[in-house]
Amino acid sequence: MANVKIYSTPSCVYCKMAKDFFQKNGVQYEDYNVAADKKAREEMVNKSHQLGVPVIDVDGEIYVGFDRASLAQALHIK
Amino acid sequence: MVYELIIVGGGPGGVAAGVYVARKKIKTLLITDGFGGQSLVSADVQNWIGTKSVSGFDLGKMLEEHLRAQEGIEIIDGDLVEAISEISSGFSVKTKAGKTFETKYVLVASGSRRRKLGVPGEKEFDGKGVFYCSICDAPVMDGKVSAVIGGGNAGLEAVIDLIPYASKIYLLERGEHPKGDAVTFEKIKTNPKVEILTMAETREVSGSEFVTGLKYKDLRSGTANELAVSGVFVEIGAIPNSDFVKGLVDLNAFGEIVVDHKTQQTSKSGIWAVGDASDVRYKQNNISAGDAVKAILNIHEFLTKHS
Repeated sequence: MANVKIYSTPSCVYCKMAKDFFQKNGVQYEDYNVAADKKAREEMVNKSHQLGVPVIDVDGEIYVGFDRASLAQALHIK
Repeated sequence: MVYELIIVGGGPGGVAAGVYVARKKIKTLLITDGFGGQSLVSADVQNWIGTKSVSGFDLGKMLEEHLRAQEGIEIIDGDLVEAISEISSGFSVKTKAGKTFETKYVLVASGSRRRKLGVPGEKEFDGKGVFYCSICDAPVMDGKVSAVIGGGNAGLEAVIDLIPYASKIYLLERGEHPKGDAVTFEKIKTNPKVEILTMAETREVSGSEFVTGLKYKDLRSGTANELAVSGVFVEIGAIPNSDFVKGLVDLNAFGEIVVDHKTQQTSKSGIWAVGDASDVRYKQNNISAGDAVKAILNIHEFLTKHS
Protein backbone atom coordinates (compact mmCIF):
# COMPACT_ATOMS: atom_id res chain seq x y z
CA MET A 1 0.00 0.00 0.00
CA ALA A 2 1.23 3.48 -0.85
CA ASN A 3 2.58 5.74 1.88
CA VAL A 4 0.30 8.80 1.78
CA LYS A 5 0.72 12.05 3.69
CA ILE A 6 -1.51 15.09 3.46
CA TYR A 7 -0.51 18.56 4.65
CA SER A 8 -3.71 20.45 5.37
CA THR A 9 -5.48 23.17 7.33
CA PRO A 10 -8.69 22.45 9.25
CA SER A 11 -10.73 25.00 7.28
CA CYS A 12 -9.51 23.99 3.82
CA VAL A 13 -12.28 22.55 1.66
CA TYR A 14 -10.01 20.92 -0.90
CA CYS A 15 -8.17 19.19 1.97
CA LYS A 16 -11.51 17.83 3.21
CA MET A 17 -12.37 16.70 -0.30
CA ALA A 18 -9.02 14.91 -0.61
CA LYS A 19 -9.48 13.18 2.77
CA ASP A 20 -13.07 12.22 1.81
CA PHE A 21 -11.66 10.77 -1.41
CA PHE A 22 -9.04 8.73 0.51
CA GLN A 23 -11.64 7.44 2.97
CA LYS A 24 -14.13 6.46 0.26
CA ASN A 25 -11.41 4.52 -1.52
CA GLY A 26 -9.91 2.88 1.54
CA VAL A 27 -6.61 4.77 1.30
CA GLN A 28 -4.76 5.10 4.62
CA TYR A 29 -3.06 8.45 5.12
CA GLU A 30 -1.29 10.56 7.70
CA ASP A 31 -2.73 14.03 8.18
CA TYR A 32 -0.52 16.97 9.19
CA ASN A 33 -2.26 20.17 10.28
CA VAL A 34 0.08 22.91 9.06
CA ALA A 35 -1.99 25.63 10.77
CA ALA A 36 -0.88 24.27 14.16
CA ASP A 37 2.26 22.26 13.39
CA LYS A 38 5.13 24.56 12.34
CA LYS A 39 7.51 21.68 11.67
CA ALA A 40 5.01 20.11 9.30
CA ARG A 41 4.53 23.49 7.59
CA GLU A 42 8.28 23.73 6.95
CA GLU A 43 8.35 20.16 5.67
CA MET A 44 5.46 20.98 3.31
CA VAL A 45 7.21 24.12 1.97
CA ASN A 46 10.47 22.21 1.48
CA LYS A 47 8.72 19.44 -0.41
CA SER A 48 6.44 21.58 -2.58
CA HIS A 49 8.36 24.89 -2.78
CA GLN A 50 5.09 26.71 -2.23
CA LEU A 51 2.70 27.63 0.59
CA GLY A 52 -0.77 26.55 -0.56
CA VAL A 53 -2.69 23.60 0.89
CA PRO A 54 -3.33 20.76 0.44
CA VAL A 55 0.00 19.20 -0.39
CA ILE A 56 -0.20 15.44 -0.84
CA ASP A 57 2.81 13.14 -0.75
CA VAL A 58 2.29 9.73 -2.36
CA ASP A 59 5.46 7.64 -1.93
CA GLY A 60 7.58 10.79 -2.33
CA GLU A 61 5.66 12.10 -5.34
CA ILE A 62 4.30 15.57 -4.49
CA TYR A 63 0.83 16.80 -5.54
CA VAL A 64 -0.21 20.40 -4.88
CA GLY A 65 -3.97 20.89 -4.58
CA PHE A 66 -6.66 18.22 -4.89
CA ASP A 67 -6.53 16.80 -8.39
CA ARG A 68 -8.75 13.75 -8.24
CA ALA A 69 -7.67 12.35 -11.62
CA SER A 70 -3.92 12.37 -10.95
CA LEU A 71 -4.35 11.06 -7.39
CA ALA A 72 -6.58 8.25 -8.67
CA GLN A 73 -3.86 7.34 -11.12
CA ALA A 74 -1.09 7.48 -8.51
CA LEU A 75 -3.10 5.30 -6.11
CA HIS A 76 -4.44 2.94 -8.79
CA ILE A 77 -8.07 3.85 -8.03
CA LYS A 78 -10.58 3.35 -10.81
CA MET B 1 -28.39 6.01 -25.97
CA VAL B 2 -29.85 9.47 -26.44
CA TYR B 3 -30.74 11.48 -23.34
CA GLU B 4 -33.61 13.92 -23.31
CA LEU B 5 -31.50 16.35 -21.31
CA ILE B 6 -27.90 16.83 -20.21
CA ILE B 7 -27.34 19.19 -17.29
CA VAL B 8 -23.87 20.72 -17.12
CA GLY B 9 -22.84 21.63 -13.57
CA GLY B 10 -23.34 20.62 -9.92
CA GLY B 11 -23.84 23.95 -8.20
CA PRO B 12 -27.22 25.13 -6.89
CA GLY B 13 -28.49 25.60 -10.46
CA GLY B 14 -27.53 22.15 -11.72
CA VAL B 15 -28.80 20.40 -8.61
CA ALA B 16 -32.14 22.26 -8.53
CA ALA B 17 -32.56 21.30 -12.18
CA GLY B 18 -31.75 17.67 -11.32
CA VAL B 19 -34.37 17.54 -8.59
CA TYR B 20 -37.03 18.97 -10.91
CA VAL B 21 -36.23 16.71 -13.89
CA ALA B 22 -36.62 13.67 -11.65
CA ARG B 23 -40.09 14.89 -10.70
CA LYS B 24 -40.96 15.36 -14.37
CA LYS B 25 -39.43 12.00 -15.38
CA ILE B 26 -37.18 13.54 -18.00
CA LYS B 27 -34.38 11.14 -19.03
CA THR B 28 -31.37 13.09 -17.80
CA LEU B 29 -27.63 12.93 -17.31
CA LEU B 30 -25.91 15.46 -15.03
CA ILE B 31 -22.18 16.04 -15.52
CA THR B 32 -20.13 17.91 -12.94
CA ASP B 33 -16.62 18.06 -11.51
CA GLY B 34 -18.03 18.46 -7.99
CA PHE B 35 -20.99 19.69 -5.96
CA GLY B 36 -21.59 23.05 -4.33
CA GLY B 37 -20.41 25.54 -6.91
CA GLN B 38 -18.40 28.58 -5.92
CA SER B 39 -19.74 28.70 -2.36
CA LEU B 40 -17.78 25.53 -1.65
CA VAL B 41 -14.90 27.58 -0.27
CA SER B 42 -17.10 29.89 1.80
CA ALA B 43 -16.68 29.51 5.59
CA ASP B 44 -20.25 30.37 6.40
CA VAL B 45 -23.22 30.81 4.07
CA GLN B 46 -26.01 32.61 5.91
CA ASN B 47 -28.43 33.33 3.09
CA TRP B 48 -29.28 29.94 1.63
CA ILE B 49 -33.01 30.12 2.23
CA GLY B 50 -34.26 27.67 4.86
CA THR B 51 -30.81 27.36 6.45
CA LYS B 52 -29.58 29.89 9.03
CA SER B 53 -25.93 29.04 8.65
CA VAL B 54 -24.02 26.39 6.72
CA SER B 55 -20.43 26.04 5.55
CA GLY B 56 -19.86 25.95 1.80
CA PHE B 57 -18.53 22.40 2.14
CA ASP B 58 -21.69 21.22 3.93
CA LEU B 59 -23.89 23.09 1.46
CA GLY B 60 -22.17 21.13 -1.31
CA LYS B 61 -22.88 17.88 0.56
CA MET B 62 -26.54 18.85 1.13
CA LEU B 63 -26.94 19.55 -2.57
CA GLU B 64 -25.28 16.27 -3.54
CA GLU B 65 -27.45 14.26 -1.12
CA HIS B 66 -30.63 15.91 -2.36
CA LEU B 67 -29.69 15.13 -5.94
CA ARG B 68 -28.68 11.54 -5.23
CA ALA B 69 -32.02 10.95 -3.47
CA GLN B 70 -33.77 11.42 -6.84
CA GLU B 71 -34.71 8.40 -8.88
CA GLY B 72 -33.90 8.04 -12.53
CA ILE B 73 -31.24 10.70 -12.97
CA GLU B 74 -27.77 9.60 -14.03
CA ILE B 75 -24.81 11.45 -12.51
CA ILE B 76 -21.19 11.76 -13.57
CA ASP B 77 -19.13 13.34 -10.78
CA GLY B 78 -15.47 14.16 -11.43
CA ASP B 79 -15.54 15.09 -15.09
CA LEU B 80 -15.97 18.34 -17.02
CA VAL B 81 -17.84 19.19 -20.22
CA GLU B 82 -15.35 20.49 -22.77
CA ALA B 83 -17.34 20.86 -25.98
CA ILE B 84 -20.91 20.81 -27.23
CA SER B 85 -21.77 20.52 -30.92
CA GLU B 86 -24.97 20.25 -32.89
CA ILE B 87 -25.92 16.89 -34.44
CA SER B 88 -29.08 15.66 -36.20
CA SER B 89 -30.63 14.18 -33.02
CA GLY B 90 -29.83 17.28 -30.97
CA PHE B 91 -26.41 17.81 -29.38
CA SER B 92 -23.20 15.92 -28.79
CA VAL B 93 -21.53 16.57 -25.45
CA LYS B 94 -17.83 15.81 -25.02
CA THR B 95 -16.06 15.59 -21.66
CA LYS B 96 -12.47 16.11 -20.51
CA ALA B 97 -12.16 12.36 -19.79
CA GLY B 98 -12.91 11.78 -23.49
CA LYS B 99 -16.49 10.53 -23.22
CA THR B 100 -19.19 11.59 -25.67
CA PHE B 101 -22.93 11.68 -25.00
CA GLU B 102 -25.93 12.46 -27.18
CA THR B 103 -28.87 14.47 -25.99
CA LYS B 104 -31.92 16.25 -27.33
CA TYR B 105 -31.52 19.26 -25.04
CA VAL B 106 -28.84 20.87 -22.87
CA LEU B 107 -29.06 22.95 -19.71
CA VAL B 108 -25.88 24.90 -19.01
CA ALA B 109 -25.41 25.53 -15.28
CA SER B 110 -21.63 25.62 -15.33
CA GLY B 111 -21.19 28.73 -13.20
CA SER B 112 -18.04 30.80 -13.29
CA ARG B 113 -14.40 30.66 -12.27
CA ARG B 114 -12.01 33.07 -10.57
CA ARG B 115 -10.85 36.13 -12.40
CA LYS B 116 -7.09 36.64 -12.19
CA LEU B 117 -5.30 39.95 -11.77
CA GLY B 118 -3.20 39.65 -14.90
CA VAL B 119 -0.29 41.60 -13.41
CA PRO B 120 3.42 40.70 -13.42
CA GLY B 121 4.34 38.26 -10.66
CA GLU B 122 0.86 36.78 -10.22
CA LYS B 123 1.60 33.59 -12.13
CA GLU B 124 5.18 33.20 -10.90
CA PHE B 125 4.09 33.42 -7.27
CA ASP B 126 0.92 31.32 -7.54
CA GLY B 127 0.94 29.28 -4.32
CA LYS B 128 4.07 31.10 -3.21
CA GLY B 129 2.17 33.92 -1.61
CA VAL B 130 -0.50 34.51 -4.27
CA PHE B 131 -3.65 32.67 -3.20
CA TYR B 132 -7.19 32.23 -4.51
CA CYS B 133 -8.69 30.37 -1.52
CA SER B 134 -8.53 32.47 1.63
CA ILE B 135 -10.22 29.92 3.90
CA CYS B 136 -7.70 27.28 2.75
CA ASP B 137 -4.53 29.29 2.92
CA ALA B 138 -5.14 32.01 5.54
CA PRO B 139 -3.49 29.89 8.31
CA VAL B 140 -0.10 29.96 6.55
CA MET B 141 -0.16 33.75 6.96
CA ASP B 142 0.22 33.29 10.71
CA GLY B 143 1.97 36.40 12.04
CA LYS B 144 2.52 37.77 8.53
CA VAL B 145 1.33 40.83 6.63
CA SER B 146 -1.21 40.10 3.89
CA ALA B 147 -3.12 41.94 1.23
CA VAL B 148 -6.58 41.16 -0.10
CA ILE B 149 -7.35 42.44 -3.59
CA GLY B 150 -11.01 43.26 -4.20
CA GLY B 151 -13.68 44.82 -2.02
CA GLY B 152 -16.65 42.69 -3.04
CA ASN B 153 -18.20 40.10 -0.71
CA ALA B 154 -15.48 37.54 -1.44
CA GLY B 155 -12.77 40.09 -0.64
CA LEU B 156 -14.42 41.12 2.63
CA GLU B 157 -14.79 37.45 3.60
CA ALA B 158 -11.12 36.87 2.82
CA VAL B 159 -10.26 39.65 5.29
CA ILE B 160 -12.39 37.90 7.92
CA ASP B 161 -10.64 34.58 7.20
CA LEU B 162 -7.27 36.31 7.69
CA ILE B 163 -8.01 38.25 10.89
CA PRO B 164 -7.23 35.32 13.26
CA TYR B 165 -3.83 34.75 11.62
CA ALA B 166 -2.28 37.70 9.81
CA SER B 167 -0.53 40.46 11.77
CA LYS B 168 -1.88 43.08 9.37
CA ILE B 169 -4.27 43.02 6.43
CA TYR B 170 -4.49 45.55 3.65
CA LEU B 171 -7.71 45.53 1.65
CA LEU B 172 -7.20 47.04 -1.81
CA GLU B 173 -10.24 48.22 -3.73
CA ARG B 174 -9.96 49.85 -7.14
CA GLY B 175 -13.21 51.81 -6.80
CA GLU B 176 -14.15 54.52 -4.33
CA HIS B 177 -15.89 52.17 -1.88
CA PRO B 178 -15.82 48.42 -1.22
CA LYS B 179 -18.93 46.95 -2.86
CA GLY B 180 -19.51 44.05 -0.46
CA ASP B 181 -22.39 43.70 2.03
CA ALA B 182 -22.57 46.39 4.70
CA VAL B 183 -22.91 43.73 7.45
CA THR B 184 -19.54 42.20 6.57
CA PHE B 185 -17.89 45.57 6.00
CA GLU B 186 -18.93 46.77 9.48
CA LYS B 187 -17.18 43.73 10.97
CA ILE B 188 -13.83 44.50 9.40
CA LYS B 189 -13.56 48.28 9.21
CA THR B 190 -13.12 48.79 12.95
CA ASN B 191 -10.59 45.98 13.35
CA PRO B 192 -7.17 47.54 14.16
CA LYS B 193 -5.38 44.94 11.99
CA VAL B 194 -7.24 46.01 8.87
CA GLU B 195 -6.26 48.94 6.66
CA ILE B 196 -8.54 49.75 3.75
CA LEU B 197 -7.04 51.33 0.64
CA THR B 198 -9.55 52.58 -1.94
CA MET B 199 -8.84 53.77 -5.48
CA ALA B 200 -5.86 51.42 -5.32
CA GLU B 201 -5.00 49.55 -8.50
CA THR B 202 -2.72 46.53 -8.12
CA ARG B 203 0.21 46.64 -10.57
CA GLU B 204 2.69 43.94 -9.57
CA VAL B 205 3.44 41.15 -7.14
CA SER B 206 7.12 40.89 -6.27
CA GLY B 207 9.46 38.65 -4.30
CA SER B 208 12.28 36.14 -4.67
CA GLU B 209 11.37 32.57 -3.67
CA PHE B 210 8.15 33.74 -2.04
CA VAL B 211 6.11 36.96 -2.18
CA THR B 212 7.61 39.92 -0.36
CA GLY B 213 5.81 42.88 -1.86
CA LEU B 214 2.93 44.37 -3.79
CA LYS B 215 2.99 47.45 -5.99
CA TYR B 216 -0.13 49.51 -6.55
CA LYS B 217 -1.12 52.81 -8.08
CA ASP B 218 -3.08 55.32 -6.05
CA LEU B 219 -5.70 56.40 -8.61
CA ARG B 220 -6.45 59.63 -6.71
CA SER B 221 -2.93 61.02 -6.68
CA GLY B 222 -1.51 58.95 -9.54
CA THR B 223 1.45 57.92 -7.39
CA ALA B 224 3.00 54.45 -7.35
CA ASN B 225 3.22 52.77 -3.93
CA GLU B 226 4.62 49.58 -2.53
CA LEU B 227 3.52 47.42 0.39
CA ALA B 228 5.67 44.82 2.14
CA VAL B 229 3.43 41.73 2.26
CA SER B 230 3.93 37.94 2.37
CA GLY B 231 0.54 37.03 1.01
CA VAL B 232 -1.76 38.35 -1.72
CA PHE B 233 -5.31 36.99 -1.76
CA VAL B 234 -7.03 37.67 -5.10
CA GLU B 235 -10.81 38.14 -4.91
CA ILE B 236 -11.73 40.23 -7.95
CA GLY B 237 -14.77 38.46 -9.29
CA ALA B 238 -15.45 35.78 -11.82
CA ILE B 239 -15.45 34.78 -15.48
CA PRO B 240 -18.41 32.73 -16.79
CA ASN B 241 -17.69 29.13 -17.81
CA SER B 242 -19.15 29.43 -21.28
CA ASP B 243 -16.18 28.52 -23.51
CA PHE B 244 -17.67 25.14 -24.44
CA VAL B 245 -20.77 26.74 -26.04
CA LYS B 246 -18.94 29.63 -27.72
CA GLY B 247 -20.12 29.89 -31.33
CA LEU B 248 -23.20 27.80 -30.57
CA VAL B 249 -25.12 30.32 -28.46
CA ASP B 250 -24.94 34.11 -28.20
CA LEU B 251 -22.59 35.46 -25.53
CA ASN B 252 -22.46 39.07 -24.36
CA ALA B 253 -19.28 41.18 -24.06
CA PHE B 254 -18.54 39.59 -20.65
CA GLY B 255 -18.77 36.04 -22.04
CA GLU B 256 -22.11 35.45 -20.31
CA ILE B 257 -24.71 33.36 -22.14
CA VAL B 258 -27.57 35.59 -23.22
CA VAL B 259 -30.93 34.14 -22.12
CA ASP B 260 -34.61 35.00 -22.27
CA HIS B 261 -35.24 35.65 -18.58
CA LYS B 262 -38.82 34.34 -18.76
CA THR B 263 -37.78 30.87 -19.95
CA GLN B 264 -33.94 30.70 -19.64
CA GLN B 265 -33.75 29.79 -23.35
CA THR B 266 -30.56 30.78 -25.16
CA SER B 267 -30.31 32.00 -28.75
CA LYS B 268 -29.98 28.35 -29.83
CA SER B 269 -33.18 26.31 -29.72
CA GLY B 270 -32.64 23.29 -27.45
CA ILE B 271 -30.09 24.93 -25.15
CA TRP B 272 -31.01 26.61 -21.87
CA ALA B 273 -28.67 28.37 -19.43
CA VAL B 274 -28.97 29.44 -15.78
CA GLY B 275 -26.94 30.94 -12.97
CA ASP B 276 -23.54 32.59 -13.16
CA ALA B 277 -22.83 31.31 -16.68
CA SER B 278 -25.86 33.27 -17.91
CA ASP B 279 -26.43 37.01 -18.18
CA VAL B 280 -28.60 37.04 -15.06
CA ARG B 281 -28.05 40.39 -13.39
CA TYR B 282 -27.51 39.13 -9.83
CA LYS B 283 -25.26 36.12 -9.23
CA GLN B 284 -26.71 34.35 -6.22
CA ASN B 285 -27.15 30.71 -5.13
CA ASN B 286 -30.88 31.14 -4.55
CA ILE B 287 -31.38 32.84 -7.90
CA SER B 288 -29.45 30.11 -9.75
CA ALA B 289 -31.66 27.49 -8.13
CA GLY B 290 -34.85 29.39 -8.98
CA ASP B 291 -33.79 30.04 -12.57
CA ALA B 292 -32.96 26.34 -12.97
CA VAL B 293 -36.47 25.39 -11.84
CA LYS B 294 -37.85 27.85 -14.37
CA ALA B 295 -35.69 26.29 -17.09
CA ILE B 296 -36.79 22.72 -16.29
CA LEU B 297 -40.49 23.66 -16.34
CA ASN B 298 -39.91 25.27 -19.72
CA ILE B 299 -37.97 22.25 -20.99
CA HIS B 300 -40.80 20.00 -19.81
CA GLU B 301 -43.27 22.11 -21.78
CA PHE B 302 -40.97 21.85 -24.79
CA LEU B 303 -40.74 18.06 -24.50
CA THR B 304 -44.49 17.70 -24.18
CA LYS B 305 -45.05 19.83 -27.28
CA HIS B 306 -42.33 18.18 -29.36
CA SER B 307 -43.03 14.50 -28.65
